[in-house]
Amino acid sequence: MLSANLIEEIKKIQARYHSKKSACMAAMQSVQREKGFLSKDDMTDVARLLEIEPVEVEEVGAFYTMYNVEKPVGRNHVQVCRNLSCSLLGAEHLVRHMEKVLGIKTGQTTKDGKVTLSLVECLGSCGTAPMMQINDDYYENLTEEKVTVILKGLK
Amino acid sequence: MITLKINNKEITVKDGTLILDAAKEAGFDIPTFCYQARISGLGSCRMCLIEIEGQKKLQPACITPVIPGVSILTESSSISSMRSAMLEFLLSNHALDCPVCDKAGECELQDMVYKHGPRNGRFDEVKIRFHEEDYAISPVIGKNSNRCGQCTRCVRVCREIVGRGVLGVMGRGAHQEETSFWKTELDCDHCGMCIEVCPVGCFMRRPYRYKARPWDLKSSDTVCPYCATGCRITVESRNGEVVRSIARNSNGFNENMLCARGRFGYDISNNADRLTTPLLKVGVRFEPVSWGRAIEVLKEALMRPAPEKVGGVASARLTNEELYLFQKLMRKVVKTPNVDSSSRWDASAVASFISATGMAEGPSTAYECMESDMTFIVGSQISDENPVIDYIVRYVSAAARKAVVIASARPMKLDSSAHLRLRHLPGRLGSLLLAAVSMLNKDNSSKLGNVKGIEAASAVSVEELLQSCGVEVSDVNALIERFKRAETISIMAGTDFLRYKEGSFSLGLLIASLKAMGKKIRVLPLLDRSNQRGAWDMGVSPVFGPGYEAVSRGMSCEEMLEKAALGEMDAMYVVGEDIAAMYPDEAFAKASLSKVKFLAVQASFMTETAKLAHLILPSAVFVEKSGTMTNQEGRIQAVYPLVKPPGEVRTDFDIIASLLDAAASMAVGSSASVFEEIKKQVSSYAGAEISAGGAKGVMVKASDKRLERGGDKPEPGVPFKTDKVNSYILVTGNHLYYSGTLSSRSSILSGLLKEPIVEISKLRADETGLSDGDKVIVSGNGFSAKFALRVKANAMKDVCFIPENFNDAPVNRFFKKGEPIPAVNITGFKE
Amino acid sequence: MEKTLLKNVGKPDSLTIGAYLAGGGYKAAEDAFKMTPDELIQRIKDSGLRGRGGAGFSTGLKWSFIPKDPTLAKYLCCNADEGEPGTFKDRVIMENDPHLLIEGMIITSYAIGAGAAYIYIRGEFARSAKILEQAILEAYAKGYLGGNIFGSGFSLDMHVHRGFGAYICGEETALLESIEGLRGQPRKKPPFPALSGLYAKPTVINNVETLACVPFIISKGADWFKTIGPEKSPGPKLYCVSGHVNKPGIFELPMGTSLREIIYNHAGGVRHGKKFKAVIPGGVSAPLLIEKDLDTPMDFDSLAQKGTMLGSGGIIVMDETTCMVKTAYIINRFFSHESCGKCTPCREGTTWMTKILRRLESGTGRQGDVELLEDLCGNIFGRTFCPLSDGAVMALRGALKNFREEFVYHVEHKKCMA
Ligand SMILES: Cc1cc2nc3c(=O)[nH]c(=O)nc-3n(C[C@H](O)[C@H](O)[C@H](O)COP(=O)(O)O)c2cc1C
Ligand code: SF4
Ligand code: FES
Repeated sequence: MLSANLIEEIKKIQARYHSKKSACMAAMQSVQREKGFLSKDDMTDVARLLEIEPVEVEEVGAFYTMYNVEKPVGRNHVQVCRNLSCSLLGAEHLVRHMEKVLGIKTGQTTKDGKVTLSLVECLGSCGTAPMMQINDDYYENLTEEKVTVILKGLK
Repeated sequence: MITLKINNKEITVKDGTLILDAAKEAGFDIPTFCYQARISGLGSCRMCLIEIEGQKKLQPACITPVIPGVSILTESSSISSMRSAMLEFLLSNHALDCPVCDKAGECELQDMVYKHGPRNGRFDEVKIRFHEEDYAISPVIGKNSNRCGQCTRCVRVCREIVGRGVLGVMGRGAHQEETSFWKTELDCDHCGMCIEVCPVGCFMRRPYRYKARPWDLKSSDTVCPYCATGCRITVESRNGEVVRSIARNSNGFNENMLCARGRFGYDISNNADRLTTPLLKVGVRFEPVSWGRAIEVLKEALMRPAPEKVGGVASARLTNEELYLFQKLMRKVVKTPNVDSSSRWDASAVASFISATGMAEGPSTAYECMESDMTFIVGSQISDENPVIDYIVRYVSAAARKAVVIASARPMKLDSSAHLRLRHLPGRLGSLLLAAVSMLNKDNSSKLGNVKGIEAASAVSVEELLQSCGVEVSDVNALIERFKRAETISIMAGTDFLRYKEGSFSLGLLIASLKAMGKKIRVLPLLDRSNQRGAWDMGVSPVFGPGYEAVSRGMSCEEMLEKAALGEMDAMYVVGEDIAAMYPDEAFAKASLSKVKFLAVQASFMTETAKLAHLILPSAVFVEKSGTMTNQEGRIQAVYPLVKPPGEVRTDFDIIASLLDAAASMAVGSSASVFEEIKKQVSSYAGAEISAGGAKGVMVKASDKRLERGGDKPEPGVPFKTDKVNSYILVTGNHLYYSGTLSSRSSILSGLLKEPIVEISKLRADETGLSDGDKVIVSGNGFSAKFALRVKANAMKDVCFIPENFNDAPVNRFFKKGEPIPAVNITGFKE
Repeated sequence: MEKTLLKNVGKPDSLTIGAYLAGGGYKAAEDAFKMTPDELIQRIKDSGLRGRGGAGFSTGLKWSFIPKDPTLAKYLCCNADEGEPGTFKDRVIMENDPHLLIEGMIITSYAIGAGAAYIYIRGEFARSAKILEQAILEAYAKGYLGGNIFGSGFSLDMHVHRGFGAYICGEETALLESIEGLRGQPRKKPPFPALSGLYAKPTVINNVETLACVPFIISKGADWFKTIGPEKSPGPKLYCVSGHVNKPGIFELPMGTSLREIIYNHAGGVRHGKKFKAVIPGGVSAPLLIEKDLDTPMDFDSLAQKGTMLGSGGIIVMDETTCMVKTAYIINRFFSHESCGKCTPCREGTTWMTKILRRLESGTGRQGDVELLEDLCGNIFGRTFCPLSDGAVMALRGALKNFREEFVYHVEHKKCMA
């Protein structure tokens, strides 16, 4: 079930576009922001609101990699860039270090649900490589020490 | 026109022709994979790349239109190596499990690799796998995504032709998978179009799984036995069992398009409940008798009584030849005028429908209709009753930007293609159309003054008419504005004109008025029994004879029942029709039939009518027959038998022929010789050379006889009494998966919808707290039954719908003779 | 060079409309509204501005393709997808000087007659999106957006549309699909977006940096713009430098500055005193260059002559310790991850190549792998639906051309020579 707030928000989003369907991406972003991930029911609800087939919503959800479809992520989603500039400056070492600090492998979530560690493609911050994103925020020019502090400080 | 060179051959084609089609015309086949006729071009598989002089890159022939004056190569060494490279890529993540794949032997990928290479495989990595076991997304659709080549034809055909759009492409890149929402069971039309267009073994027919290899199949062309769209199908069998029905692009006018009935309703012949031997009632039991005895008994029963106390009803699913012989038997040998081809329609409503739609004036194809500026669909639940016409209207109107207007009592899938929708109260289309004529007459009176019957348009008030049909004046205004703007108009008129008597008068008047306004009009009747038009052409009617010639008026089916109720029918010969299940008042029909002194029923199954018979003759079903059928367009198509009937079953043709022989020593000869006789007797069939038409059949001609335009003038109806919160106006019709009760003998089709349904409006559902899927009790006329509830948006508030096709919940029990539109109560209940 | 595009970067409050106005902001827009749309388009044509998104197409010419029919709805889409690895310039503009972009978009919309403009921003740039949304609200409040702008009768609505993780949406037609709420797969062309773009209406798609140039061309003139850099690709350019350099970052320099100058004079040269090995000049789609190419001017035409491209201006420097097989693997993995899946050669080809490169990199390469890779490149190149895969092939071919022996060494010795 979508909250009344979400429904209100999605209706507002629709107004930005010529077609209701355009609101699909932003609608699911809003749902994910509130719930952390997208479930089958959420997609059905979004489809109903936008008057499209649920399958069209799932198509969008499954195409764009930032949607967490049916896979809840930790409260802190740590996404480390693995592309060239970051790799040249030691992203792999950093990831191994982070796995040690967190006690998980990439792709996993800590038992307490605090942190999920993922590898992603270029985040558009190559000048400050190596870098990572935790939820909405960028952390740049990383070193092992810096990363340890950041990870330890996560709530 | 554009002239260009393809492989050095000069060719001139229409502007905008795709290079692919131009090449085909010039005699060069370009291999394609993602291309699919009639759906939007994608240009994604890259199989069809060709060389265009002056362009650096190879271009996709399937989405590139011809360019004047250029030279194109469809064969060259770089093209050959490209083709083999694309196929190597397509195979790289393909499962290559051909030995267990249904498609092997008729697989487009396999055939293409065989032809274009590569001859050896270099891909030596782990393949991407989506799942280990095949999975099902519908009772009839199975899925193996490991074989998918990402052509997305399935997704596009479902969106653009079928109009459901329940398939999608999930994921990205090499990991994408075409499937249903969350891979769950589809709530869709189950038409299997996705299977038909799948070039590989990714979408599969579940009922056919592991049943046969394509090269072991025996096949035969016939016509779908369900609605009157008349789709060409190829039925296939293995060891006498019918295992598949397919439609092919190269075959009928419907090309590869079919609905669930056409694609999956083939298994009625395999049904173990078939009647296999003639049965004679002895005391309270049926006992098998020989054909000789059965024919003798029937001859006696038909010939001995006074002819006016004998009548016959033949189903509009028989072939033309069978129907012709049937009326010949009744009229010429038994000498009774009492023949009819439907237990549902009023015979004079039929006659006025035929005259209103001008069926005797010649054929009119669906595609021709779609060339008009505007198509007006009225009185038809087209998406359920004639699904392939629904497809054609959808895709042609989208591609050619043609206006579509729908007036109907119920919402339907095609509504989304309509530029204007008018929702009217059930049975009140006469009022709606008369209101439209009346409004046209107001600003065109000079032109319409001479139209026969136009005075009716000024005799009633538009307000009253609109109130009666429940349509807003602004909507009717929008409709007549569109009429005025269009130069060419097609009208597709459906079975509601037959279900409710009052429509045809107004329809005829509307068409005459539009013609008087100078519009070019085409009319396509939309009918729900495969050979309904043929039955009328053959004169199986109490009102007209073969070729619509005038006859002395006989009794219609209803009149025979009325007479039987008084104990005055001595014999009735019912061929293929299930009167007890179809006549809108079951109690009356059964009581009357029980009073017929001798009831002979020719049927493939023990129908409700057969149960009341004195004599039952087991008859063949469609895959066992030959002859011709005429679809609603007026297209005569040949049907060929695939399998032998079981047991002692005979075709209706053979049975009637034996009767003619026994009763009048008439030697009938073959089906072909009867068709020769039809050509002589029915002017619209004169000169029809079936073989000349090929798979697409030949069209009937204008008949030299016409029926007078007539029918009952609509009286503004009394308001419906649905004031109580749980009371609804009942409308009936065919369900998408069914057509009559014959289709319910298909175990595949019956598996698509396991329980009877009743459909109500969202407005009412919200008011009463009912919701989709609820179990409800519907009651009325002393009958009640359990249904599953379907809630529809855009439905008229007080209307409910029950399909005519459920054996467990015979909808005709809610009807009382003389009361065409009953009211019923619907209440929720907990199990 | 005096900073233009980056002039507000690092200034306090540079995000606010107050600071922007204080620096003369929205003056160019006001001036532009005194010109006719045709004059504006001519001005941009005269300036010689070429698109900064990668293809380098003449911006003025692109605008001029938009039909003049006033009854047709038209759209402007700003391409802020900034997906090309090695590129981080658009984000700097959006996060430091959002009003510059908005002003450029207002002028552009007026020139082409667009009634609605969308900023398509990659989903990861959550902060940029917030900043832009705030700035748009400020612009509405001042009447620079909404109805009757500058009393001209012209109205414009502007919205941010966030992508959500798909490099391909930087391709302009995939971007349109994405705004329409669909999977971001490229559309066939023709029809080109100028005739049938967003919602099948005439649409211009321009990169952030391109649009940020527009206000300056209005306020400083086309001639001013043309005097910067080479005649055929004039103007200031944002170069992004990353990888093995001492001072990575973004540098605003005249178009056509040489690679050597950018790397050594501005980015502080190769770090840790290591030797230079190779450089990717324009994002990972661009074939790499080596030492002998360092004097190439960084502009569209000079780089094309060298068989590579300016692309997005993302310069990635690699020193002598870099394994070229690994580099090729990382780049290829990126492309197969980002292949939209529409066309066969890209979808299957990049996936296959990545599998081979992974084996090579990890020391399980086989005899014939290098030849197979070369052959697959040929089977993909020029046959795909959109240029994404051409980028993948060009990058790999660049590496193979200059460092083939490293690939062979990986096959034969199961390890790296670097
Ligand atoms: C695969 C691919 C990715 C692209 N990514 C971007 C991008 O991230 N940002 C961008 O501005 N242009 C990108 N482009 C170029 C756009 O398609 C388009 O040419 C550009 O936005 C036009 O703007 P401009 O004329 O201002 O350069 C990409 C093109 C391709 C083929
Ligand atoms: S080359 Fe083909 S598969 Fe690759 S991104 Fe472009 S369209 Fe998609
Ligand atoms: S058939 Fe033309 S690209 Fe697939």
